[in-house]
Amino acid sequence: MGKYILKRVLQFIPVFLGVTLILFALQNIVPGDPITLIGGDKALPPETELQLRIKYNLVKVDENGNAVLDANGDAVPTNTWERYIGYMGNLLKGDLGTSYQRKIPVTEIFAQKYPYTVKLALCAIVLEAIMGIGAGIISAVKRYSFWDTLVTLTTSVLVAVPAFWLGMILQLVFGVIFKVMPISGAGGASSQFQDWMHYILPAITLASVSTAYTARIMRSQLLDVMSQDYIRTAKAKGLSNRAIIWKHALKNALIPVVTYIGVDFGAMLSGAILTETVFNWPGVGYEIYRAISGRDWPIVMGGVTLVVLVVMVVNLLVDVSYGFLDPRIRFDRSSKSN
Amino acid sequence: MSTMQEPSPTQRSGMAAKAEKSSTEAPRPSRTLWGDAFKRLRRNKLAVAAIIWIVFVVIVALTADLWAQQLLGSPTSSDSTTLAQTSLLAPNAEHPFGTDALGRDILVRVIYGARVSLSVGIMATAISTVIGLILGALAGFYGGIWDTIIMRAADIFLAFPYVLFVVSMIAVIGRSLTNVFVAIGILGWPSIARVFRSAILTVKENDYVDAARAMGASDMRIIFRHIFPNSVASIVVYATMNIGGAILTESALSFLGMGVVPPTPSWGTMIQDGQAYLTTAPWMMIMPGLAILSTVLAFTLLGDGLRDALDVKMKDA
Repeated sequence: MGKYILKRVLQFIPVFLGVTLILFALQNIVPGDPITLIGGDKALPPETELQLRIKYNLVKVDENGNAVLDANGDAVPTNTWERYIGYMGNLLKGDLGTSYQRKIPVTEIFAQKYPYTVKLALCAIVLEAIMGIGAGIISAVKRYSFWDTLVTLTTSVLVAVPAFWLGMILQLVFGVIFKVMPISGAGGASSQFQDWMHYILPAITLASVSTAYTARIMRSQLLDVMSQDYIRTAKAKGLSNRAIIWKHALKNALIPVVTYIGVDFGAMLSGAILTETVFNWPGVGYEIYRAISGRDWPIVMGGVTLVVLVVMVVNLLVDVSYGFLDPRIRFDRSSKSN
Repeated sequence: MSTMQEPSPTQRSGMAAKAEKSSTEAPRPSRTLWGDAFKRLRRNKLAVAAIIWIVFVVIVALTADLWAQQLLGSPTSSDSTTLAQTSLLAPNAEHPFGTDALGRDILVRVIYGARVSLSVGIMATAISTVIGLILGALAGFYGGIWDTIIMRAADIFLAFPYVLFVVSMIAVIGRSLTNVFVAIGILGWPSIARVFRSAILTVKENDYVDAARAMGASDMRIIFRHIFPNSVASIVVYATMNIGGAILTESALSFLGMGVVPPTPSWGTMIQDGQAYLTTAPWMMIMPGLAILSTVLAFTLLGDGLRDALDVKMKDA
């Protein structure tokens, strides 16, 4: 078990390095000098500019922290590789750099934003689990009935709906026509209850597509399990349908569903850029999106680095919990066949 | 095992059909993979409806230049002198889908938007499929170090939050129709590569591959003549579904302001335009949304239908 976890953690390292390297390379291809972006319209005095270049690791520095100058007295720029190594070194110290435009540490920005994303993801995942598993069970148990058809059609439609459009339709119906829900934003409301009302529409939007997948997986898994021998045995010994489903079939059918929900939770924690944009949600996804539009690369880099770390940790937890849920899975064996 | 036959050279499948005929009592007229699949597909009402809808959208998009502008006006330019009378009109006889803030007919913009969506869907899928096939073939056929490198690269691509990845890429390479399908296409290869890789791993074990190799066939010949025809069914199913996914991604990109450059109409951009008029002119965002929904749904249902008709087993992914 410990060995398996270690192996998985070691597998993360190349993936993590690859993702950050790709992003780092991308941001270095982008035309435009970051220092000009920081200065905005006004030209910066040369000393300030040099200080900034040192701060953002854009020029080489000697041991005393002074810029290395070439024969003409100009600072020597660092290459992408050196910057990347510098970035990763700072990352190990817990430093994700400083925003170009807002001039505050990236870690500080995401410390503010992450709680909103986590809370929204929790609401969405609860919705997804209840609705998805419920609908999946109903449609499997009452196979080919009206309810089964309804669930199948609804899931097909949900998968084809652009989530951001669904969010706007919800805003239109519940916010504009019936005026029962707030349209956008989070927090700042007069009461705790009002605060929670802000979560409902974004959570439904965020959960929509994955609820459909959860229901589909639940249905196919339950049908699969119901056709197995041990269920036939249970039937033969005279157990009621209800007892068979709740006591025997569901336990096994749920395993892949729980895995899917877990992985999906990780994906939701990466910040739902579309949902958050539609609802002006002050979360991670919206922040990264704004930073991309504004070319504020430290936020983009830092945000994506954090997001990838979170997704990987959640996936690892899901994998490990898989072993507890399903004793048939032996970690030593799975690591060999991998 | 008629479903395992190679469909391409007519001569060979004709011979196989003869062989089957002689061995069975009541021969069926068509015994090619695609003939059988087409028959099964025709019985699937949802898939037939999906095909009809896709054909309709394609024809409308292709012929739009011949009639749409005459009937409904220009999809891109607007007349500022008459703006007060023509903007934000609710759906009516003259403008079935209403007009937007610049007085442009929404139906004609939806029609021209179909061009963007369909071309992105098809081109992005084509790019993903080609890259996916090449990398999947390398990984599956040669295994070893190729397999490790390519599949780890696929992990890297899949570990990335997808929309963020596409948006960052567009931010780097700039906004244009070509860049949109390049970005979506390049980022879409890992799933196709995985499908093709696992298909190859299965097919590779068959005796006829050994036989071909024993007869001195080259790797390329084995891949193209023996393995590819046997995994083409699953690739077709995957690609069909991928078109719908690419259309969704394009609409999301356009919605975030990272798609094609206005005034070219795109369904996602139209929804974004409509966001500001949600309370006063909701049809601005409803209509393009319905266009996305129906088109993506059609490709999904067609994919489902093809999967059943071609008897492709797919993993939940």
